[in-house]
Amino acid sequence: MGRYIIRRLLQAIPLVLFVSLTIFTLLQATGDPLATMGGRSPTKSEDKARLRRQLGLDKPLLEQYLYWLIGNDWAKFDRDGDGIAEAPGTRYGVLRGDFGTSIVTKRPAMEIIVDRLPNTLLLMVTAEIITLFFALIIGVISAVKQYSIFDNVLSGFSFITFSMPIFLVGFGLLYIFAVKFREWGLPYLPTGGIFDPQEGRSVSQLALHMILPVATITIISVAGYSRYVRSNMLEVINSDYIRTARAKGLTERSILYRHAFKNAALPLATLIGLDLPFLLGGAVVTERIFAWPGTGRLFLDHLELLDYSVLMGLLMLITVAVVIFQLLTDLMYTWLDPRIRYS
Amino acid sequence: MKRRLLLVLTLMLALSLVVAPTLAQDRKVVTVSYTQEPLTLNPLYVTQWFATNVIDMLLTPPWFIDDQQQAVPVQVTEIPSVENGGISEDGTVITLKLRDDLKWSDGEPLTSADYVFTYEMIMADGNTVSSRDPWETKVASVTAPDATTVVITFNESFAPWLTALFTASPAMPEHTLRPIFDAEGTLDAAEWNKTVNPGSGSFILNEWETGSFLSLVPNENSFAGTPKLNEVFFRILADDGTSQNAALTTGDADIGVFLTAGDAVELEGAGLVISQVASGYNEGWYLNVNPDTAHPAMLDVNVRKALVMAFNRQQIVDDLLFGKTRVATSYWDGSQYVRPDAKPYDYNPEEAAAMLDAAGWVDSNGDGTRDKDGTELVLRFIASQRQIRKDVQAVVQQAFAEIGVGVETSNYDNFFDTYGEGGPMSTGQYDIGEYSGSSQFPDPNTADFLCSEIPSDENPEGANWIGYCNEELDALFQEQLKTTDPAARVALFQQIDQIIFDEAVWVGVWYDADLWATNARVIDAKYSGADPFWNAVNWDVSS
Repeated sequence: MGRYIIRRLLQAIPLVLFVSLTIFTLLQATGDPLATMGGRSPTKSEDKARLRRQLGLDKPLLEQYLYWLIGNDWAKFDRDGDGIAEAPGTRYGVLRGDFGTSIVTKRPAMEIIVDRLPNTLLLMVTAEIITLFFALIIGVISAVKQYSIFDNVLSGFSFITFSMPIFLVGFGLLYIFAVKFREWGLPYLPTGGIFDPQEGRSVSQLALHMILPVATITIISVAGYSRYVRSNMLEVINSDYIRTARAKGLTERSILYRHAFKNAALPLATLIGLDLPFLLGGAVVTERIFAWPGTGRLFLDHLELLDYSVLMGLLMLITVAVVIFQLLTDLMYTWLDPRIRYS
Repeated sequence: MKRRLLLVLTLMLALSLVVAPTLAQDRKVVTVSYTQEPLTLNPLYVTQWFATNVIDMLLTPPWFIDDQQQAVPVQVTEIPSVENGGISEDGTVITLKLRDDLKWSDGEPLTSADYVFTYEMIMADGNTVSSRDPWETKVASVTAPDATTVVITFNESFAPWLTALFTASPAMPEHTLRPIFDAEGTLDAAEWNKTVNPGSGSFILNEWETGSFLSLVPNENSFAGTPKLNEVFFRILADDGTSQNAALTTGDADIGVFLTAGDAVELEGAGLVISQVASGYNEGWYLNVNPDTAHPAMLDVNVRKALVMAFNRQQIVDDLLFGKTRVATSYWDGSQYVRPDAKPYDYNPEEAAAMLDAAGWVDSNGDGTRDKDGTELVLRFIASQRQIRKDVQAVVQQAFAEIGVGVETSNYDNFFDTYGEGGPMSTGQYDIGEYSGSSQFPDPNTADFLCSEIPSDENPEGANWIGYCNEELDALFQEQLKTTDPAARVALFQQIDQIIFDEAVWVGVWYDADLWATNARVIDAKYSGADPFWNAVNWDVSS
């Protein structure tokens, strides 16, 4: 097993490097981060030229990638524009834990990302738990009561929500439960943020502000997951060993939860394992609608600014997480299904 | 034990639910909806509108520009002028006389040395400042002969000094930042950039949770007055109308800006107060007159005037902008630099058709489109992807068809790219281009009409995208740059404005003031286009 893990990790290194180079190249091609620097007017040409030199954006693409990867503290640069490279570089590179500095905020990219991660994890993990809870209940009942009114209604509802764009669900909930409920004199929910400044920061405020974004993500996600659980359960409960269990006189409850559900949950574990790394990326649209200070919103904000240090940091974090979670999922499989062995 | 703990926790929760709202109600808080988060709070590193306004509250400039576009002294005893000796006769030396009671929020004195230090930091090669304009090209030196005097010497007379000197980059605390710069060779990573503490504003930063909010509370050591509010809370929202409108409608935000006309109508209906604030922007037609790239008809001033007269701009204002603005009369509409008698060209399609006939553009081949010497009068009308501009293009296409002028419309993502980047406007791939432009507001100076700014391979960053070159106009622009007498400068700009109007190279479509929404409970919020929160110290809320 140890050799298997080491082999998988070694195989991941060229993959991660390839992904990093591809993303770096694509981001560089998306535009000029110095065009406006977030201002209302274009950056003046002399300022642009100076900043390009100071930030190292005047270097060839591969050289910039190399500095991003291994740092530039071993090279010298022309800071004052006299054509003589006199000042040493200050970057250590990703391989030494330095993801670079944001072009626009001047803060370390990883510091900016780490600031937002707890908020995103809080939102996404909560939504994931609630999603799984409802998806399992709906999926199992739909399978057991196949073609019943319950199954048909939920199937119809699932198809509707699954095919709806998330911004429509988000804005719909916002309009009804925040704007209209207030207008109708009913208890209403906040429109966004994580607390009301008049009330101050508290756990109850946080919980209140989480309701709409969590509901938005859950409504969209439950549909897909529950259909998956339903189809797995249907496959399992029609298999021979379930028929045998019934023939042996086991109770239906025992058959369902001890035998059928455990096996039906196996493919679901894979799905969850593959979804988990993407929780780090946050819910881009939902975070934006409800002003949730997470990594999804961070990504969009910095994409508009073409702030490639932060974008690279976020995307590489997700890339590495995907690699690790895929490995963990595979390892978990051996624990869930003793028939599987890696050598 | 567990039961007791549970009981205590329940009691604490109940108590907090009862007491917290009572305490909260006593606090005066104004929430500002911010659709972009400030990138940093160090003024040297940012030109972003959303950042500079927060900085204004934390770090006062020598003077603010108020809601009447007048300079109001803050750190200086009076605004420099030739009469009070603040401006030298030849206009090359400006002297700032600072108040003698200035201090930083940590109690340290704020002196002219802080101004000199700030200038040094702008020019330091170790700092990746966002702009060195005008310091690098116009300023020869900044000195401090004594603790309350700052002397700025220009290479030559520089009229736009009022909006360029220490207003975008106010004085920073040398006692805090000098040691950092000396140790690290840069201020790029200074912790102060995130806190502006110590600062010199009426407020100090209480907390900044990135992506979520900034909380500002009164500066107890402020020399600029004590705020009436206990807190100004900037809530970071998505940059779409829906989230901001919902926050403003429900009272989750008290102040919001950059509303569309439709938003303004909706929010006004919900009881919010809508204000129009001039910020120098006017939506206009930029008419290409560059002989190398323009349609030949565009080179005839009477054809240009005819096109403008065939375009019902009032209809755009009434139907597309819900009457929330007016037809712009000038490139400088909303400022003192517009001609007092300025009014837009009349809408008169019949006269427009007659003018085109007189210019020789007639439909000689009966295809419904005018032509001359074998060239059809089909014009390229381009704009960015903004929906309202697409609507205008559709209206114009229909209106021009009625006078026999064809219009091909295009919309570009890279509309504002420079000549060097291949932008459609800057490279002249158009006959009529529409966007909202601005001078160096509130200063009227602009490079948009200078001969030297016509883009070319040698000048790829050139700003004169219409390709218009007029020596008389150029001379007036050069003269205003050296004219320090405000009244004389206004007169010069009114001459400039007249030429641009007569030549019909820029034509106003609508006055593009910023639309603000304010909850009726907020008292005395007077926004300025240059320094929007200049009077935040006076903001209050009704009980």
